[in-house]
Amino acid sequence: MSRFLRLHASALADALRRLGSQPVASLFSILVLGAAIALPVVAAVILESAAATGAGLDTEPHVSVYLALDASADDAKRVEQALRGQPDVAAVKFVPRAQALRELQASTHLAELLAALDRNPLPDAFTVRLRTTDVARLDGARAAWSRLPKVDQVVADFEWSERLARWARLGEHVLAAIGTLLGAAVAFIVAHLIRLQVVTRREEIEVSQLIGATAADVRRPFLYHGALQGFLAGAAALALAAGFAAWATYELSVLTPEYAAELKVVFLAPAERAALVAGACLLGLAAAWVAVSRELRRFTAGR
Amino acid sequence: MIRFSAVAKRYPGGHEALRGVSLDVADGEMVAITGRSGAGKTTLLKLAAGIERASTGTVLVQGQNLGALGESALAVLRRRIGFVFQDHKLLFDRNAFENVALPLRIGGFPRLESARRVRAALDKVGLLDREKAMPVALSGGEQQRLCIARAIVSRPMMLIADEPTGNLDADYARAIVDLFTSFHQVGVTVLLSTHDEASLGRLGCRRVALAAGALAEEGAA
Repeated sequence: MSRFLRLHASALADALRRLGSQPVASLFSILVLGAAIALPVVAAVILESAAATGAGLDTEPHVSVYLALDASADDAKRVEQALRGQPDVAAVKFVPRAQALRELQASTHLAELLAALDRNPLPDAFTVRLRTTDVARLDGARAAWSRLPKVDQVVADFEWSERLARWARLGEHVLAAIGTLLGAAVAFIVAHLIRLQVVTRREEIEVSQLIGATAADVRRPFLYHGALQGFLAGAAALALAAGFAAWATYELSVLTPEYAAELKVVFLAPAERAALVAGACLLGLAAAWVAVSRELRRFTAGR
Repeated sequence: MIRFSAVAKRYPGGHEALRGVSLDVADGEMVAITGRSGAGKTTLLKLAAGIERASTGTVLVQGQNLGALGESALAVLRRRIGFVFQDHKLLFDRNAFENVALPLRIGGFPRLESARRVRAALDKVGLLDREKAMPVALSGGEQQRLCIARAIVSRPMMLIADEPTGNLDADYARAIVDLFTSFHQVGVTVLLSTHDEASLGRLGCRRVALAAGALAEEGAA
């Protein structure tokens, strides 16, 4: 084994020994760090699951254009041509009033009531699917179509999808903020734990430096300690989040069996799990680096 | 070789420990620094080991100007120098074996080679049977010998010792002086401070006297 590898193996062994020397304290600190990391992970799982559920719904923006009751087939053709001439329109579907009535009768409990009517109260209509989600352009199109001859009403069904998208964006921002805050908290806790270790081992550090240890030699075991703590905390967070996901999946299946196909908990993908643990490991490493460097500067200044 | 050229050392607060010291120690030479307490002996040794830096003047070790070296380069240089501290600088939460093994651990030595060298060093200072003992269980003299074992374990090119026989009884002092002499005989440069006249006589080396931070006298011991 080369000297380089021996030094790193020795530093890793030292870090493991330090963690193992106080098993209860180490376990609790790792669990606390893991819980802090798990919180944004759980929030991300909830958000991801909500997004996945929403993806199953028709969220594409579309507009319903209702014609006047006295509109003729020629009027409908003219309106259809006008609609198809718009660049933002992806598809136009004509829904004749007879078909609309049949669908209404089939999908509601109003069949008898509707049958008792002497004439069809529903108008011909177009369902227009749009390419854009830009609110201003959609509003402009709606206003323009309202002015077409024999158009009675234009109803835009995109506001709710826009609202949903806005809520999703807000959720992502809140999640990012919480993640950043808790990440900073984790880094602070790791840095504090490492700082305590450095202070406790001050005598050893000073003697080591006197007999030839460089700053890198001194730093190395602490960096491994920080990285190990981060790694174990990341793994603990993953386990906690997986536990939450399993529990939520079970509760959803019990509470809403009829929606089991639509409502499902989406857990992190394998790559995301690896990134979580690696990120926590790097966070611990960075926190340890800052803490040790700071303390070493203080030791040197105090000499 | 060690070369001090017009070296002065001033500590924060204004105390001047060394003033205009110029001194050469040839490779493989053994030199004893003498002088009363506060004469500047420890400061001179620390400057030679790169533990402290001169305020003015230059200290050259093996052709390297220590004042121009960065902290890492100085630390690496210190690995090639065995230093026996007057206050031992032992780690009290490590046993004798682990204390002596510390320089080898820093140097990244293989475990088996390290264990062999540690036992050899402990044997040289008569502490082989105490390798598991914690420093607190050792007498002052044993702690001194443990510090010497740590200084010689990495087979340094230069051995610097600050009052190495200060806490030892006459028999062990003689044994330690003989140990330094044996290192000197195999070509190790030895620089030590002492005011133990018996040891000085036994060392039979060049003697440099310091007084109030300046060179006062030079000659054979």
